[in-house]
Amino acid sequence: MKIQGKIFLCAVIFTFSFTGISRSHPFEILDTIRIKKILIASEPDYPPYCLIDKNGNPTGFSVELLIAAAKAVNIDVEIKIGLWNKIRVDLEEGTIDALPLMGKTPERDSLYDFTMPYLSLYGAVFVRKNDGRIKSIHDLKDIKILVMLGDNAEEYIHRNRITNNITTTRTFEDAFRMLASGEGDAVITQRVMGIQLLKSLKIKSIRPLDFPLDNFRQDFCFAVDKGNKELLSRLNEGLSIVIANKTFDEIQLKWFGPQHKEHITYRDMIINLLYIIIPLVIILSGISILILRREVKSRTGRLQQEIDDHQITELTLHKQQLLLNEMEKLTRIGGWEYTVATQEVVWTDGVYDIFGVSKTDFDPTSRKTDMNFYHPDDHKILDNAFRNILEHGTAYDLRLRINTPDGQLKWIRTAGQAEYHHKDIVRVYGHVMDITIQKQSEDDLIKLKNDLEANVAARTNELEEKVLKLRKSESAMLYMVEDLNKMTAELKSEQLELEAINKELEAFSYSISHDLRAPLRAINGFGQILQEDYAELIGEEGKRILSVIIYNTKRMSTLIDDLLSFSRISRQEIKYCGIDMQSMVNSILPELVNPAEKERISVEVHRLLPAYGDSSMLKQVWLNLISNALKFTSKIAEGKIEIGSSLAEGDNTYYVKDNGAGFNMQYSNKLFGVFQRLHADKDFEGTGVGLAIVKRIINRMGGRVWAEGAINQGAVFYFTLPNLEKLDGFDVLSKRKKHEQ
Amino acid sequence: MDLMYYQSAKNMNNKANEILLIEDNPNDVELTKRAFSKFNFIHHVQIISDGAEALDYFRCTGKYLNRDIHDIPRLVMLDLKLPKVDGLEILRVIKEDERTKMIPVVVLTSSQELKDVSEGYRLGANSFIVKPVDFNKFTQLVGELSHYWLQINKSPY
Repeated sequence: MKIQGKIFLCAVIFTFSFTGISRSHPFEILDTIRIKKILIASEPDYPPYCLIDKNGNPTGFSVELLIAAAKAVNIDVEIKIGLWNKIRVDLEEGTIDALPLMGKTPERDSLYDFTMPYLSLYGAVFVRKNDGRIKSIHDLKDIKILVMLGDNAEEYIHRNRITNNITTTRTFEDAFRMLASGEGDAVITQRVMGIQLLKSLKIKSIRPLDFPLDNFRQDFCFAVDKGNKELLSRLNEGLSIVIANKTFDEIQLKWFGPQHKEHITYRDMIINLLYIIIPLVIILSGISILILRREVKSRTGRLQQEIDDHQITELTLHKQQLLLNEMEKLTRIGGWEYTVATQEVVWTDGVYDIFGVSKTDFDPTSRKTDMNFYHPDDHKILDNAFRNILEHGTAYDLRLRINTPDGQLKWIRTAGQAEYHHKDIVRVYGHVMDITIQKQSEDDLIKLKNDLEANVAARTNELEEKVLKLRKSESAMLYMVEDLNKMTAELKSEQLELEAINKELEAFSYSISHDLRAPLRAINGFGQILQEDYAELIGEEGKRILSVIIYNTKRMSTLIDDLLSFSRISRQEIKYCGIDMQSMVNSILPELVNPAEKERISVEVHRLLPAYGDSSMLKQVWLNLISNALKFTSKIAEGKIEIGSSLAEGDNTYYVKDNGAGFNMQYSNKLFGVFQRLHADKDFEGTGVGLAIVKRIINRMGGRVWAEGAINQGAVFYFTLPNLEKLDGFDVLSKRKKHEQ
Repeated sequence: MDLMYYQSAKNMNNKANEILLIEDNPNDVELTKRAFSKFNFIHHVQIISDGAEALDYFRCTGKYLNRDIHDIPRLVMLDLKLPKVDGLEILRVIKEDERTKMIPVVVLTSSQELKDVSEGYRLGANSFIVKPVDFNKFTQLVGELSHYWLQINKSPY
């Protein structure tokens, strides 16, 4: 048993030393902080692995091995001594760096880090020699088992549920002593350690049982503080070195070795042979294991990769499925397929949604077609389409009505196409889309369009009517325009005629002034020559007659002049401007009033309103009226003339009043006629044109003239001119003129 | 003609062609001549009674082909109403020719038409006189005219 363990140990260590070296190598390079010294703790009572020598110093196989391994990687070791349960807690808490001996168990993996195992030990059941009750592991159930508190054995018993009847002791020494003294039925511990311990305790009444404890094979390692990767790798490295340079063997020999070689038996020889063969086999096995491990590892890696890939794919698929569902919901669309061979129909969630059925209630395969959903009118259409696609592979795309179980009427668009495999239709698939809303919108649009068309038609009619009316109006307008053109043409011709007449008149006036006056001048001239040169020959009566002739030539000349000026006034263009009537009259008076007459005639000029008219023409008006007044007051002892103005009914009224001869109102209508005279020439000279000229001028400027009077009581001559204010609305120009004033 | 001649003529008031009267009406010619004679200007008056002839005179053409163009009158009295070529046309010719444009032209007319007056001045007439019917006034006017243009007014030559 002891040898078997040793052989196995060698194999294990050998195996791990390879992996250990190969694994520790990268750490070494990476590590920058190098550990120089560590503090470890050892038990006093776990021979031959951990114990204390006669001087009280810690020693033992594990302790020496740890020191050697640490030394191989240049780490100094300081060792303190403590009981197992204390030091394992110390390591857990990190107050020490390592323990030389700790069995690797699943429970401890989370608390410590372990180096490669350097020792594998098997557990054994120790009983008193005289106790024969226990034959197999199953017999342990009903007996009282002693075990050291916190030892692998305790964990093992709990883990494998061997018994509940456990008594824990402080140390295994205690446990063995208790067993030897008849307390308890068995001790479970390491076989080798147990035998060693019994030997050192010199207890002979206890023996280990031969049957193996399954699962109580314990790999022993150095334990390091959890997470101290550097120390772990350094110790692994050191362990490998001591194994390789035989130090391991020396230490092993020291603690386990010499007594086995003392008497070599046949059996031992075989065993020794096995020593050579088995390690060889084991080495070969180790190598092959190593290769196998690598192969397994790489395969495992690949497999893991494949598993990962598969999982990723699966996850992606799942996500895509969710996305698809979401999309289908959003777009109200679904997909379906029909496998010809199995007659199986598959729907996506979207189709279920559209048809308003749930996956659990409705199996699309159970009915080859979902004909019941469809509107009766659409049955035949869909039926034909499906038959065609199955028989001829004719794809279809239809808009049909369906009734869902909850009573909704929906419009769907359903399309299908065939999939071939070697000319055979193996699958038919397609999609279903809920187009109710689109259909509704479409219908609305169609309605809108129709309404619009109707509207447009109505409007068009209206417009056409209007156009018709317009055309009528247009033709009416055309007629009017024609008329207007005709009228314009007529007017134009009339205007031309008028212009021609005016021209003629002008020529006529010209002729009169030249041709009529020339003979007059001749008569007058030669008359005077006669008077001057032949006065004596014609006698007194002849002279008188001659003077009458001469007088008449002058009178004729005046008549012609007045007539011409009257005619000129009618033709002459009016040049409007603002006129200060006051200063105009004041400038005229001195020309008219003979200085000799100033005593006899008083002329009073009141305030005169400014006027708007033709300056030269208005001057003529004042001249004629004032000279008229002077003429008719010429025979009055105290002639009095008043000139003034007033504003009445929007017109400026001007007047010239005298206290002269006056006139009979009965004939007032004749006053302003051409060549009309109310007085005899012998009383007052005149041609009867002056007042006619006044009337013509005032009338042309939009005013009126009239006169009041009585015989020998004087006369008042009035004339009006439109007030500036009144003119405002007529003419923008006049407005401007007003402002300028 | 030389400058001396005109100066002496001016001083002596006795040169035959100092006044050129262009008038077609024989009555008016006679009356005007009588008026001139009253002031002793009659010997200095030359009379042309036709518009076309007047143009020949100023252009030295036709009947006046041999006339020296520099022999120019000191005053032209021009009647407006002339047969063939009217007074305004003659005025235009006189005033357009560099050689004659400085001659003072007094326009005589029976007409009071403003149109004639303004057109006359526009063409360069130096004076515009409406012939009065009263012969006494006319005589007086002729005297004043002659006096003014021949004695008061400073001649350009």
